[in-house]
Parts: sequence; C-alpha cells; structure tokens
Amino acid sequence: MGLLTILKKLKHKEREMRLLMLGLDNAGKTTILKKFNGEDVSTISPTLGFNIKTLEHRGFKLNIWDVGGQKSLRSYWRNYFESTDGLVWVVDSADRLRLEDCRKELGALLLEERLAGATLIVFANKQDLPGALSKDAIREALALDEIKTHHWCIVGCSAVTGENLLMGVDWLLDDIAARIFTAD
Amino acid sequence: MMLAYIWQYVYSSFLRFWLKWFLRHVTGKCELQRICAGYKQGALRTTQIEYSLKSSKNKVLQDAVKVKEDDVVGCVAQIMREKNINAQKDPTFKGNLQQCLLQISGYSTLFTTVEELRKEVFDSENEDHEKMLLKLWDLLMPSVKLDSRITKQWGDIGFQGDDPKTDFRGMGMLGLVNLVFFSENYTNAARQVLSHANHPKLGYSYAIVGINLTEMAYSLLRSGALRMHFYNSVAGKPEMHDFHQLYCYLAHEFDKFWVEEEPESIMQFNHYREKFHDKVKGYLQEPDVALILKVDTKN
Repeated sequence: MGLLTILKKLKHKEREMRLLMLGLDNAGKTTILKKFNGEDVSTISPTLGFNIKTLEHRGFKLNIWDVGGQKSLRSYWRNYFESTDGLVWVVDSADRLRLEDCRKELGALLLEERLAGATLIVFANKQDLPGALSKDAIREALALDEIKTHHWCIVGCSAVTGENLLMGVDWLLDDIAARIFTAD
Repeated sequence: MMLAYIWQYVYSSFLRFWLKWFLRHVTGKCELQRICAGYKQGALRTTQIEYSLKSSKNKVLQDAVKVKEDDVVGCVAQIMREKNINAQKDPTFKGNLQQCLLQISGYSTLFTTVEELRKEVFDSENEDHEKMLLKLWDLLMPSVKLDSRITKQWGDIGFQGDDPKTDFRGMGMLGLVNLVFFSENYTNAARQVLSHANHPKLGYSYAIVGINLTEMAYSLLRSGALRMHFYNSVAGKPEMHDFHQLYCYLAHEFDKFWVEEEPESIMQFNHYREKFHDKVKGYLQEPDVALILKVDTKN
C-alpha cells in the first residue's frame, strides 16, 4: 500500500476536503465564505493574509481557505496549494477592466503541479449588480473551454443575496467526492 | 459554577432588595445617591448607575437608561420625585446623575451616528468624498503628486489596487474619515506609522490595515465594549471625534504591536490582529481604562 493510498483512506474516514478560494482583490471571496457560513456580510473589510473556516456540509468536513487577492499577496498563494481538493476561483463579473488580468492569474494557477488534481469551480460573482457580465460572457473572457487539465464548472452567483452559492458548492463536492472517495 | 449561578439568582431576586432596603433606612439615601456619593465621576460610577437603573422594579428608573439626550434633565427630575430625593439635602446628586445619564444615552447615540457614516458608501461621483480621498494622499505623501486619480501609486499608502474606492466596502466613509482624521490630527505619528508599514520585510498595507482597525473599533462600539472607556475619557456625551480618537489609538498601538511582534509576513495578519484585539479587550475590562493616544497633536 503506497503512502498516497493510505492518505486517501485516512481522508475517506473523515470525509474531509480542502478547498482553496482565490481570485483578484474585491472579487467577493470573503463575502462568499461568510454568506455560505450564514454570517453577516455587511461589515467586511479587505482581507490581509487569509481566513480559514472549517464547516460541515452534507456530511463532509470542509476546510475552506480564503486568501487575500491583492497583487502583493498573490506571490503567497503558492503556500496554500498543498493537498487542495477543490479550487474556487471567484470573479467580479462587473469588473470588466481586469478580466484579462483575471484570465492570466487563473491560467497560471492551472499550470501549478500541486493543483493538478483539483476540481475547479468558477463563481461569476456579483450577478446582482446592473453592470455585471453574464456567466457565459465570463466563460468566454476567461477562455474556460480551453481547459483540458481539470474538471471545471462555472456558476453565476451573488454572494450578497446568496443566489446559487449552494448549487456551486454542491457541484464541487460531488465532483471531488466522485474522485477521491470512490477511487478505491 | 452552579453555586455561583444560584448565588447570583438568590442575590438579584431577594437579597439585593433587602440589602437596599436596609441601607436606605440606615443611611437615609437610596442606591442611586449612594453610588453618586461613593464613587468619583467615571466608569465605576456610571456603570453602577446603569446597572442599578436596569435592575430597578420602577418603570421610570428602568426606562432612564434609554433616555434621549434632550430629555435627561426632565428624566432626572422625575427620578428624584419617584425616589423622594431632597435636592437641598443632597445638592450634588442632580448634576451627577444627569452626567451619568448623558454618558449612557450618549453611547447609544454615538453608535447610531457611527453606523450612519459606515453605511455611507464611498461614491466617486460625490465631490466631498473624492476631495477627502485626495486629502488623505496629500497629508501622507506631501512631496509626491498623484499622476492621476486611477493609479498604482495608491499602493504606496496601502490600498489594494489602482482605485481605492472598492477597499472601503463594509466600513464605507467611516473607514476613510478615520484615516483622514489620524493623518490630519497626528500627522507625524501617521507618517511614522506609514513608514513602518512600508518596511520591505515587516511591512503591511497601511490603508487597508487602517480599514480593518476601523472595523475593530466599530465592532467594539457595537458590542458595548467601549462603555467604560468613554465613561472615563469623556465627561459628558461622547461625540464622533471621540470615536476617531479611539481609532487613532488603535492605529498607533497596532503598529507598535506589529513591529514588536515581528510577524513572518503579512499572511499572518489575522493571527496578530486577533492577538491585538484580545489585548485591547483586556484593557477595556479594567475599570479605569482610557485608551488615549499619547503623542502631541500636530507634532
């Protein structure tokens, strides 16, 4: 029995998953995390460093890492890659000017070896704002259809209203569970 | 634990009443009078008055903790009638109780005012908001001009991107006004903090750490944790600038704390923020607490 198999078995027992939430600053990562956890989202300030939350959902123990997105913090993202099961990429759908920046950052992440096995969910956030691009427009702008290396899915959502958050997380959990808990 | 609970119950429902009755007849003074006479002005007196009023069985006294500023004088007169307090026999009582009630009602009024400013969203179309943002730059970076309104230079004072507007988020204009207040009233101290924040190894993002500390000040105010601080440091009703002063204290002390602790990197921010938060909450439980920034203004 290899180390990886043992690790998989250990994980199996606890049904634990590690999710890493990234994206440019002001994308809404912390708001998604708090809303999903049922907390107040009206007094959030920019994230310095990271937030970690452990919560139970559908019998899974989720360790969610929410890392700050400002440019000076992005070089630290790599410190959080290890054993990530799911990558949550959050996009401000109303921030048209930085979509190119957003595409490049995501592209670079998908080349990372330590994220190779992770499932990707893209949250096209802020759908409640009048100027927001649709999820299909975001899908095109980020060239998601070119991704062949990861299982992925895009969901249009609003962290403020909570719309579609649950649906996105559920898809992510199903995909990860199918990979790691039923592999053996 | 259980015993303490039972004692608390017995005390507050029976003993307290009889103890008060006994003391009233021995001293000829009611509990409010005894508190006013027994403690000097500050948190001890005002918190005890607050507790005494809240646990009173008399509706007039109970409602006094929710009195509005303008009604304080009338409310005190009413309490004195209810409790048969003779103004000639106890000449200082009226003024003292008025002061306590001003502090108590002022605290909740302050929260309302702070909450309004927090809910005011930073708006680029609003000339006053824009002016204030540019003023922050000029105060902190007097020798450098901004190339344009949208520029990477904002990063030099610790905003996240090219346009600070999105960084205000949940704290709204409260975050900006606090930053400007500190830079304007403690200019040298603020610039010194900024220079620490721009340290290549121990640095942190000055402006967004400031906004995080506004959030800390705001949540302390909301939870009631700042009561004793304001009762000790402001003789009457606490005003908005007293809240800004508290922010200045936090901004200055957090910087000192951060430099002393030498965190590995900015990624440890939340850990040290919590540590600092606990330290401040500890101070706020001391009856003589007064979190005052001790540097000369405009020094």
